[in-house]
Amino acid sequence: MAKGFMRRFPPLKILTDEQVEAIHRGTLDVLQQTGVLVYNERALNVFKKAGCDVNFETKRVKFPPGLVEECLRKCPSSFRVKARNPKDDLLIGQDNVLFFNFPGTDTVDLDTWEPRSPTKKEHIDLIRVLDALPNVHFLNAYPYFGFSGGVPEVMKEIEGVALRIRNSSKVTIAIANNDIDMFTIRMAKAVGSEIFANPNTSSPLTCYTDQVNACFLAAEYDLPSMIWDGATSGGTAPASLAGAVVLSNAELMPYIVLLQLLKPGARIAVANLVLPQNMTNGAPAFGEIGVSLHNVAFNQVWREYGVPTVSSSCGPTSSKRIDFQLGYQKTMPTLLSALSGSSILQLYSSIYGEITAHPVQAILDDDIAGMIGRFLEGLEVSDESLAIDLINEVGPIPGHYLGKKHTRKWWKKEQFVPRAADRLTYPEWAKTGKKSCIDYARERMEEILSTHKVDPPLTQSQEEEIEKILKEAREYYRKKGMITDAEWESYKKIIEK
Amino acid sequence: MLKGFTRNFKPLEILSEGELEAIHRGTLSVLRKTGVRFESKKALKLFEKNGCQVDYTDNRVRFPEGLVEECLRKCPSSFRVKARNPKNDMIWGGNTVYFQALSGTRSVDLDTWEPKTPTRKEYYDAITCLDALENVHIIPWYTPWFGFKNIPSVMAMPEGLAARLRNSSKFTCSNYSMGCEVFNIQMAKAVGAELRSSMAASPPLTFYEDAVENAFRTVEAGFILLITSGSVYGGTSPATIAGSLISGNAEIMAGIVLAQLIKPGTRIIVQDFSFPQNMRSGSPGFGAIEISLHQVAFNQIWRRYKIPIDGGVSYPGSKKIDYQAGYEKAIIALIGALSGTNTIWIQGAMYGELAFHPVLAIIDDDMVGMIGRFLRGILVNDETMALDLIDEVGPIPGYYLNKEHTRKWWKLEQFIPRVADRLTYPEWLKGGKKDCLSLAKERYQKILSTHKVDPPLTQSQEEEIERILKEARKYYRKKGLISNAEWEAYMEDLKSPDYPYA
Repeated sequence: MAKGFMRRFPPLKILTDEQVEAIHRGTLDVLQQTGVLVYNERALNVFKKAGCDVNFETKRVKFPPGLVEECLRKCPSSFRVKARNPKDDLLIGQDNVLFFNFPGTDTVDLDTWEPRSPTKKEHIDLIRVLDALPNVHFLNAYPYFGFSGGVPEVMKEIEGVALRIRNSSKVTIAIANNDIDMFTIRMAKAVGSEIFANPNTSSPLTCYTDQVNACFLAAEYDLPSMIWDGATSGGTAPASLAGAVVLSNAELMPYIVLLQLLKPGARIAVANLVLPQNMTNGAPAFGEIGVSLHNVAFNQVWREYGVPTVSSSCGPTSSKRIDFQLGYQKTMPTLLSALSGSSILQLYSSIYGEITAHPVQAILDDDIAGMIGRFLEGLEVSDESLAIDLINEVGPIPGHYLGKKHTRKWWKKEQFVPRAADRLTYPEWAKTGKKSCIDYARERMEEILSTHKVDPPLTQSQEEEIEKILKEAREYYRKKGMITDAEWESYKKIIEK
Repeated sequence: MLKGFTRNFKPLEILSEGELEAIHRGTLSVLRKTGVRFESKKALKLFEKNGCQVDYTDNRVRFPEGLVEECLRKCPSSFRVKARNPKNDMIWGGNTVYFQALSGTRSVDLDTWEPKTPTRKEYYDAITCLDALENVHIIPWYTPWFGFKNIPSVMAMPEGLAARLRNSSKFTCSNYSMGCEVFNIQMAKAVGAELRSSMAASPPLTFYEDAVENAFRTVEAGFILLITSGSVYGGTSPATIAGSLISGNAEIMAGIVLAQLIKPGTRIIVQDFSFPQNMRSGSPGFGAIEISLHQVAFNQIWRRYKIPIDGGVSYPGSKKIDYQAGYEKAIIALIGALSGTNTIWIQGAMYGELAFHPVLAIIDDDMVGMIGRFLRGILVNDETMALDLIDEVGPIPGYYLNKEHTRKWWKLEQFIPRVADRLTYPEWLKGGKKDCLSLAKERYQKILSTHKVDPPLTQSQEEEIERILKEARKYYRKKGLISNAEWEAYMEDLKSPDYPYA
């Protein structure tokens, strides 16, 4: 099983019990009074049967509070997810803390800092780096949105899942847009892995059909689900943080209810990508402190429900470069989420918003994950670590601790040593070419790319099965008219290569 | 009064009650059994008089538990500190959180990242910048730098304090070296400000005479005493964080006993200034995560004693203003703030104690604003939960952007950083691809061209400062602590037509 980090102290809280209760009551009120739009006939019928107030014409569903609470109670507070290699199985929940990556549509040029589409090799390189880093416990969808060349839009992520399965043994996520998860779920199954179903909410209070279908697939294949909410507070959610928590929670509940109605005990984690709105340009305000206030409150409420949480808004920032701003904008939300009880932190590889990602960044983030992980483990307080006899033996100056056996044993247990950080003194640093963390991360990336091998690679028959499913998907979307003739021509050339 | 920030929720804690008690008992047992060495006859006599067991052969003092606990109780749990301008007074203790600039010995070149010695003008300008930054509440000792070009090292501290009093009305501090505290205290009194000064242990378990002498002078002047250990775990304290806390706290408690014996009720703030030892280079492990673990435990213990806490010393290990420096500083400052540090060191510090830059202070000030906003927490009431609004807006195509509620609340909820890049890609490309560093450089120039200290020193205050400085120069020259060559360069610097204002 993948080794996560264990938080050994009570989580950080910023709400009182009464405030948590008020947010819970508010959420139930919105579900009962306002309800949500559900664009999916099958789901409307399931909700109707379970006692919801369903208007089939307007598609509005209103939920009785008792049903919502009952379904919340059915969610397991911790669960296991199976990878293709058992060493990568996941334990989600309890006080175990896991990390994964946040994607970008593009890569970025590390000299000009301008975004561009990655090549297929660069796409694979990022997957391989994420596969090699021990604290990346599973892989998100993408990590880039496709690669340069002629892959049609609808096939980009299907091809992406195939690349991830071939180049990594870690669990990944099946996004639901255009029902592509019909194919990607089968790919995971073909190699003996589970994959997260991934219904996304649409704010405010709307469920689109492909996202709802993901729940049916999750039930059919008995898969864990990660439900994502990405409201923008001030745009698609109230500008007040408490209101944004109420709204995003109300948006997550219909999926929880549906998943538990379809398969009681279904494994669910809820992911929080709620961001404030940048009021000067209308973009989401990535990296700002409102992100963390929302995460911490969200974690506190969902811990009451016993449903594991995912902090997705840790990854994206508003900086365009790997610089000081990026450093604090990624670290603060990740740290605050980890302290406040997130089970999963979406940190690795992202730079600006949902636009850019880079393997060098993933390697840099690995040090942050290691540091935060070390912090979560806390202090050991025992006779040996208190070292009162040693303090007495060493006494005042000229006593010192450097040569002691206790020091030789304990410094390694206490200290986390980062891999890509500059830890030199000024003279050492000047002598070795004034390297910064980016230089060290580039070196580590080269090392990983030249040595890392996926463990195990796909067998011949698994590879054939993946290829077969890809073929089916291409035909399906071609038939549906989602791949044009012109697209098909250039796509064929890539396939034949 | 300066409000600083208020933490509106319970602090982060990582130790259980039992673990806290074990550390407390362990500390008292070290004080009783092992004791602390004081290289000061005056202190030894005072301890002996008050019931400590004093060994004059090795200057070791062993403390009865009752005396230690009594002296801890005599420290006020919160208190006001007075700045030159009352609008900059603060209340330290409880759930208040203030931030202070963090100095380095030298400046750096922002292109080559190599350290360089600042001039008097750069020194004065950097103070102006710190005076202007809204989240710098304290401009402490050695700040911005340990000294500047052409001043003898023995005059660095009095000249630095004079520079801060001239260019800022914020609360400042001064430290000790070669008895300079005598002049520092006079200067502060001349302008009606209080000072914080320190009593630093020399770990393990030792206090030298200069630290003790400064404690006497600071306490007798009625100023605030910061007591600190400053150990490096694995070098001058045990390699375990728990052991290092015991050894460091024993030193700090010995200092507290001395201060409270000199004058009961003395305002004390205790500082966590400990680092793990970098076992490869032997230098302190700046930027390491263990600093934060140490800090949280330290805070939890000292909150129990109800004594205000200083710390969160955010020195990065990186030599540049880069990603690494960003995360290292953010982690230390944030965990310090969450876990109850009352005064946190951050703005401007670069690598270790060796570099400072005012442009970085500007960038750090945004980070501090973010931390401060987080500490305020979330307001939960009918208006913020907005149930009626959520019902009115409903599902898509409803949205919130044009609502009155949004216009009112986004400003109350959001903290807007001053020099962070918040643009979209098209805006950023059009704007010349500026990063936080270039935005901070622009703000620096703007501050220097517009900011004025409020109020400037009066004519008579300025004369008094100059008189005290002159006295200090004469004193150290006579003592032979300023060489002929140093004296000449120094006198040349003072001849600048713009002196004293750089």
